[in-house]
Amino acid sequence: MEDLSRNPNQYKEPVSGPGQPDKRPGGQNLGVAALITAIITFVFAVIPCVGLMAVIPGIIAIVLASVGLSQASKKDSPRGILVAGLIIGIVGTLISISQIFVAGEIAKKADKWSNKIEKIVDEVQKDVMKEIEDANIDIRIQNGDEKVEISTSVNKKEREQTLEELEMGKTSDDDTTLIRPE
Amino acid sequence: MMIQPLSVLNRTTACSGNKLLDQPYLVINLVFAGIIVMILAYSAIFSAEKDNYPVPCIHEKVTGEECPSCGISHSFSLIMRGRIGEAYDWNTNGMRVFLFFFSQLLMRIFFSRTYLTDPGSSRELIILDITGSSLLFLITFMPFMIYLFRWI
Repeated sequence: MEDLSRNPNQYKEPVSGPGQPDKRPGGQNLGVAALITAIITFVFAVIPCVGLMAVIPGIIAIVLASVGLSQASKKDSPRGILVAGLIIGIVGTLISISQIFVAGEIAKKADKWSNKIEKIVDEVQKDVMKEIEDANIDIRIQNGDEKVEISTSVNKKEREQTLEELEMGKTSDDDTTLIRPE
Repeated sequence: MMIQPLSVLNRTTACSGNKLLDQPYLVINLVFAGIIVMILAYSAIFSAEKDNYPVPCIHEKVTGEECPSCGISHSFSLIMRGRIGEAYDWNTNGMRVFLFFFSQLLMRIFFSRTYLTDPGSSRELIILDITGSSLLFLITFMPFMIYLFRWI
């Protein structure tokens, strides 16, 4: 079994005990927590499905790192982990926020597209109706040797003209009689 | 063999536990290993047949558009069950992301062990870990990043 305490870079026996002040570097635990949260934020932020939610751990990481940095500056302790946590947290949060904007843009464009599609459908519908109004209809019914052909025009202008002619005829050939009650 | 009193054994165990917890690198490795195990457990518990995943695609819900990570939970579940072909059908990036997480789990174990057994090279080990993990991350998540930053 190896002695872990031989490594000068590794474990240092804590001087503090119960009832004594904590001698560990200030903000060290916060730095570890901030770094872990920041890395989780970064990984989540890059995955589109859950990227929008990464803002929450991102803000937590930034807060933890900031508090840790203020503690570290008071105790003049190392700040490597804290700075790393802060930078990764900020980058992860920015990626996540950018996703929110991108998602918003896509949603807006989707709305615009749907409006455009509706307009196009309306225009096509109007064109089709106009063509139908000016169309000629031919109906042919054949039963053995018997053949019936009906040909008619639904031309709107022609119909209007016919209606006007009929109205004119009605006024000129008015044969109604008035019956007066005695 | 010398028999130690129980109080001495307890103190030794507590001390070694503190030693581990006082090493930020080991704590980080331990936490990430735990998170990766949880991801693997999530994939094993929820199945693609039942389709009972609690985390929906928020991106799809907001935009109505499918994203490159859609179906990755199904893919992970199928990989855990050894159905690689079906997993690939659900999400083409699923296998790559799964391998990234699995390799990270192995790396956490390996690097922690090396950190404890070879204390002299701890600094080099951490630099190697950061570089290797960053490269792996970039390679794995590149399709997602391209999708996210396609507007630029």
